[in-house]
Amino acid sequence: MGAMIKDSTTLEILVQLNKRFDTESLPEMIELQKEFSVFSNKRSLRQAFALLGIVPTDWSERRRWYKFLDHLKTYPSDLPKVNGHDRVIKAFRDGLAAAAPIPISIKCHSAAEDPRVTVAKGRPVVFTIETHLIVSIPTTPGREVRKQVAEIVRKRRAAKKK
Amino acid sequence: MTSGLGRVDMGARLGDAEVQRVYSDVEAYYGARVAKYGATPRGVDWSCQATQSLRFVQLLRICDFAAPFALNDIGCGYGALCAFLDLRYPDSRVDYLGVDLSRAMISRARRRFRRTDRRFAVGRASPRPADYSVASGVMNVNVGYSRAVWEDFIAAVLQDMRRTSRRGFSVNFMSDVVAASEAPDNSPETRLYRTSPERWIPYCENALGCSVETLENYGMREFTLLVRCRQNLAKDLPLRH
Repeated sequence: MGAMIKDSTTLEILVQLNKRFDTESLPEMIELQKEFSVFSNKRSLRQAFALLGIVPTDWSERRRWYKFLDHLKTYPSDLPKVNGHDRVIKAFRDGLAAAAPIPISIKCHSAAEDPRVTVAKGRPVVFTIETHLIVSIPTTPGREVRKQVAEIVRKRRAAKKK
Repeated sequence: MTSGLGRVDMGARLGDAEVQRVYSDVEAYYGARVAKYGATPRGVDWSCQATQSLRFVQLLRICDFAAPFALNDIGCGYGALCAFLDLRYPDSRVDYLGVDLSRAMISRARRRFRRTDRRFAVGRASPRPADYSVASGVMNVNVGYSRAVWEDFIAAVLQDMRRTSRRGFSVNFMSDVVAASEAPDNSPETRLYRTSPERWIPYCENALGCSVETLENYGMREFTLLVRCRQNLAKDLPLRH
């Protein structure tokens, strides 16, 4: 997200994810997890989301989306010795297998403020009455990343001139 | 009697020309889907591989995998059930025949599966009797026809499945209460057929002479009917091609 996929794709994926794991769709996801272990240690996040059809509609963005999911392995998480990729899998796996499952929401937070993938219970939006399991992904807006890269390049050029 | 129930209770009443028109429109609809989405679950109107597979799990509960058997897959699309059988039941021996109205679908299925026990045919009904038949999602999109006409179409499909199944067949239907967002295509000319088990159980029991088990509560807003034949008609009746 952010630097790796288009901002519009991030929004589209968030909508897809939050729709598939909302209160209405939760029974279906619980059943899919029970039957096929969609989220497990034996399957990457890329495979899990491909199975669920959670992919950008823009074909050219799919490769980047999958790359981003793999890249989550380099992110830290709120659990010690668990990377961001595995943390997301654990959150979905545990959430869907819970004795009383609750809807799962995905959101983004500023990577500058907290570089970890975090999982917590709460209300993702103000109009939600129910408690959700909130999986939050650290994100740097694409525009900001491009600015940072441009700044680095500018500094390098300036250094070369000297 | 013009109600849907009356029509179906008295047997399929569609005239040949009307039947042909319905089948042509269904073929055109799915031909367009596969052209747009390719050999993917979206190409046959399912949201993803996982939900498509969960439906196969329910439908295949009609089959006894302890011994080899022949299976007809009505409305097989691009043959997704073949891949599922290989993955889920790698050691079972299933003589599979996929049947679909859409030439485009069958052409894709044939390209994907080239094995002697995986065959495909273009048509309305299976050209051969088998131990079991399954149909996934065939009844869902009424391609703009009225409920009464569509129910006659469904009755005709069920009759064909009964006629060509020695032991039983299974079909799924969307339940009455379904969110509008579930529609595979929101275009105005495409509508979904939704119903309840009570609508089709008496038909299968009385008109087709079968016993019926209903599967619900598998997380989806739909149900599956497992229809067991009390008598083997497939060995006696001539097959319609």
